Amino acid sequence: MSAVDNPKQPAKEWEPNIVGFACNWCTYAGADLAGLSRMQYPPNVKLVRVPCSGRTNPQFVLRAFQKGADAVLVAGCHPGDCHYATGNYFTRRRYLLMQRMLEFMGIDPRRFQARWISGSEAPKFRDVVTQMTEEIKALGPNRKLREEI
Amino acid sequence: MNQITKEMRDLARELLASGEVKGLIGWTKGSRWYLTPPVVITQPEEAEQLYFDQFAVNNLTGLLLDYRYGDDKIALFVKGCDSRGIVRLLQDHQIKRDNVLVIGVPCMGMSDKKAVTDPRQPAELPLLDKCLECRYPNPVIADRLISGALVSGEPSEPKGLTASEAAKRGVGSKQADRFAQVKAIEAMSADEKYAFWQAQHEKCFRCYACRNICPACNCRECIFESDKKGWVNKSATPTDNAFFAVTRAMHVAGRCVECGECERVCPMDIPIMALNRKVIQDINELFGESDAGTDLDGKMPLGLFKNDDPEEFM
Repeated sequence: MSAVDNPKQPAKEWEPNIVGFACNWCTYAGADLAGLSRMQYPPNVKLVRVPCSGRTNPQFVLRAFQKGADAVLVAGCHPGDCHYATGNYFTRRRYLLMQRMLEFMGIDPRRFQARWISGSEAPKFRDVVTQMTEEIKALGPNRKLREEI
Repeated sequence: MNQITKEMRDLARELLASGEVKGLIGWTKGSRWYLTPPVVITQPEEAEQLYFDQFAVNNLTGLLLDYRYGDDKIALFVKGCDSRGIVRLLQDHQIKRDNVLVIGVPCMGMSDKKAVTDPRQPAELPLLDKCLECRYPNPVIADRLISGALVSGEPSEPKGLTASEAAKRGVGSKQADRFAQVKAIEAMSADEKYAFWQAQHEKCFRCYACRNICPACNCRECIFESDKKGWVNKSATPTDNAFFAVTRAMHVAGRCVECGECERVCPMDIPIMALNRKVIQDINELFGESDAGTDLDGKMPLGLFKNDDPEEFM
């Protein structure tokens, strides 16, 4: 129901929609720990659990933008800590290129970020999400690459 | 009839008559003076159809994919740029080394048929941009060589029968400028870049000509053909075309052999090579210089890593 239909409800401020791909072994556990520790962080990030950050196909990122994401976060274990030994090293190469490719396409590079967050780094998870949400709020909604409805 | 054509026909006749190969892929004289399309022949007497001139620009290596499940030995002619496609297919295990006979030809640089003004009147045409930017005018791999062609795995000057003609026409004279278009786009603001690419994506109607000619696009089933992937759209809207363009560029990242065929075959003149070159430029900067498809033992940049790769994600 929109604010026009229900005048008693004040119009809501725009909130960014961030899609986060979190590796099962580190970042997802880190996010879990942040929750267990009752840490406060903005609810704008929707996490998608993936087996490894290396699982995130660049097309996932593009699809998220198409479907209305204002920013995309790919997060996994620190290099050297991958559960599968080397997955995140490939992620790093792939997304170094992908971030530059998105910038080449005219997307603000801040709208795509990759971070290494381990299972014990709940404060880092909180800080990354908070900082990203603030950045994207300042940037405003993303219209680029979006599917027209 | 030129010397290269003559030597091509002689060799083709010999190979097919002896039964060393079951088929041979080459070029033939087209219906107009500026057309030299591919041809596949299987009989020695068909060797008369072969022809080579400055319009034999088609990269024939992609056609080998039609034979990848067979055991017949196929011969094909390669120019320098095409030969890197052979290395691509061998590295991707799409063809067996024993089932292909690579014949290297010298290249005098290919003419741009888009510059034709009168289809009835033969005229001097300028070189294709990709030939001006050419760094590998000699085959990087070959089993047989004709007309004095030489194998060279390093960037080199044109060699063989047409070396002086190639030098005169300026093959490779703009090597240093091959990233000029990428740099020009990079210099734009974000919104200008987006507007530029949206205008390109609006033109694309998904004929997939770029994919079909590409020796690096050799998946058995392309994700854009599949009807089971709910997250890949096939509609030709600007956003889905952007999805296609970026996906295609990322799929050939580190594997593109810079033959420039994708851009040449594009009926809508989309600067596809700008995307490929952007990736190549970034790979060179981030992971060290490399030229895909020049060394059979070479590793693909996205198929390996180093512990001390640039760290930006912290």
